[in-house]
Amino acid sequence: MATTVMAPAFLDTPLVVGGRTFRSRLLVGTGKYKDNATMVRALEASGADVVTVAVRRISLDRTKEEGILYHLDPARFFLLANTAGCYSAEDAMRYARLAREAGFNEFIKLEVIGDQKTLLPDVAGLLEAARTLAKEGFTVMAYTNDDLVTALRLEDAGCAAVMPLASPIGSGLGLLNPYTIRTIKSRLSVPVIVDAGVGTASDACVTMEQGVDGLLMNTALAEARDPVAMAHAMRLATEAGRAAFLAGRMPRREVAVPSSPAAGMLS
Amino acid sequence: MIAALPRLHAVTDDRVVADPGLLERAGAMAAAAGPRLAVHLRARTPGGAERLALALRLKERLAAHGSWLVVNDRVDVARAAGAAAVALGRTGLAARDARRVAPGMPVARSVHDAAEARAAEGEGADFLVAGAVFATASHPGAPPAGTALVAAAAMGGLQVVAIGGITPANAAAAMREGAWGVAAIRALWDAADPAAAARAFLAVLPDAAPLAVAVNGESRAVAPGTTLRGLLEQLGLDPRAVVVEHNRHIVRRDDLAQARLAGGDVIELVHFVGGG
Repeated sequence: MATTVMAPAFLDTPLVVGGRTFRSRLLVGTGKYKDNATMVRALEASGADVVTVAVRRISLDRTKEEGILYHLDPARFFLLANTAGCYSAEDAMRYARLAREAGFNEFIKLEVIGDQKTLLPDVAGLLEAARTLAKEGFTVMAYTNDDLVTALRLEDAGCAAVMPLASPIGSGLGLLNPYTIRTIKSRLSVPVIVDAGVGTASDACVTMEQGVDGLLMNTALAEARDPVAMAHAMRLATEAGRAAFLAGRMPRREVAVPSSPAAGMLS
Repeated sequence: MIAALPRLHAVTDDRVVADPGLLERAGAMAAAAGPRLAVHLRARTPGGAERLALALRLKERLAAHGSWLVVNDRVDVARAAGAAAVALGRTGLAARDARRVAPGMPVARSVHDAAEARAAEGEGADFLVAGAVFATASHPGAPPAGTALVAAAAMGGLQVVAIGGITPANAAAAMREGAWGVAAIRALWDAADPAAAARAFLAVLPDAAPLAVAVNGESRAVAPGTTLRGLLEQLGLDPRAVVVEHNRHIVRRDDLAQARLAGGDVIELVHFVGGG
């Protein structure tokens, strides 16, 4: 006999950042895909509303590939520009202002990188840029490390969301420290979106089980053997992790407890 | 050699300076000719303070279009107004003395024959204003020197601006003798439509030397007067698909058609690409 199963999302509230509501808690990047057609299909399979883009010089050689807006419909996806590749507050602010001038929205995924090898953030530069950009009316979503005090300072600086990493950008190492992510989530009022480090669906699921508000990934999709199939898997994993968090997991015990009644056994 | 020296010079006299429509006419010509125009503030009156105030108002109108302000004789006023050059008359300071007042400012000297041209070269003038080439109402009765004066003045290698009775119809004759550009009073200021008069002159004058600018880190040559909008068109870029930074300042799409390029400008053209 068939029964109707309620979608887990039924119980959930939507993701709201800076006064804007998004259906999906999965945010995805648009970099590193082998071709634009694959990227577009992966974005569709991910179910994401928010897609990140970078600001770069336009090629003056017209034979080179065109900008990403030739492939992405800005009416369908919410474009979240980043400041990737910026190593100072000043550079990040310059890129943010250029991105805003493109005319889509006031959101900026703020990155101020401090180290080339690990791409870990320069926290001092990040805070400085966050403060200034928030004052200029930007909706700042700050990529940061999984440090509670930095996260609190970023919230004070006026960030609309704080985005601690699961592990370094592009590493695929998964969620290295669930404890710090849970601590950050428990102490912040603004949304906490884990950004970077997820490698496969189980990583996404475990991350969302920590109770964070969302998850942002790029390389896990772009570098999967089949990015479109992985995008589908990540969509399910994000929803599953979120639903499991909302459902509330059973307590952990170091002893077994039988699931079947002890009573009624045959003598 | 001053590569950016304008080809068309609108020279004032007492009558033009006294005209309340001066600024408006200068602005209209500047809008039409851009960096190819210089306006020379030349008059016997007014005195220093009033002259400087007028120079500053003129400069404001001209700078908006990249046109030059040249102040005649009063090096102090030229310097205080930030003029592009100073032009000295027959009885004015020597070029080297003018330079002590305004270091680095190009100095023009009015010359009327070959001997004066050689003398001006000797004292270090940067360019010459040679006339009167044709018969002119500014000096009624005086026999014009003819285009031979242009050839004689240009012989020393300095750029020569021909003056005296120049019109769009006879400008080409002066240019053929080696003039860099031409100067006019009545043919410009007295025209019913000064902008149209300026355009008529420019039609028979060569384009000025191209400007070197850096676009996305690459050096490019553009014609003087090129706007950012024009640059995008030359590059085949849709202004809606690109964000423009001009010397580190973001230029809004609506302002692209007004922003003119100058030599040495740094332009960044960016757009969105795939990123994480």
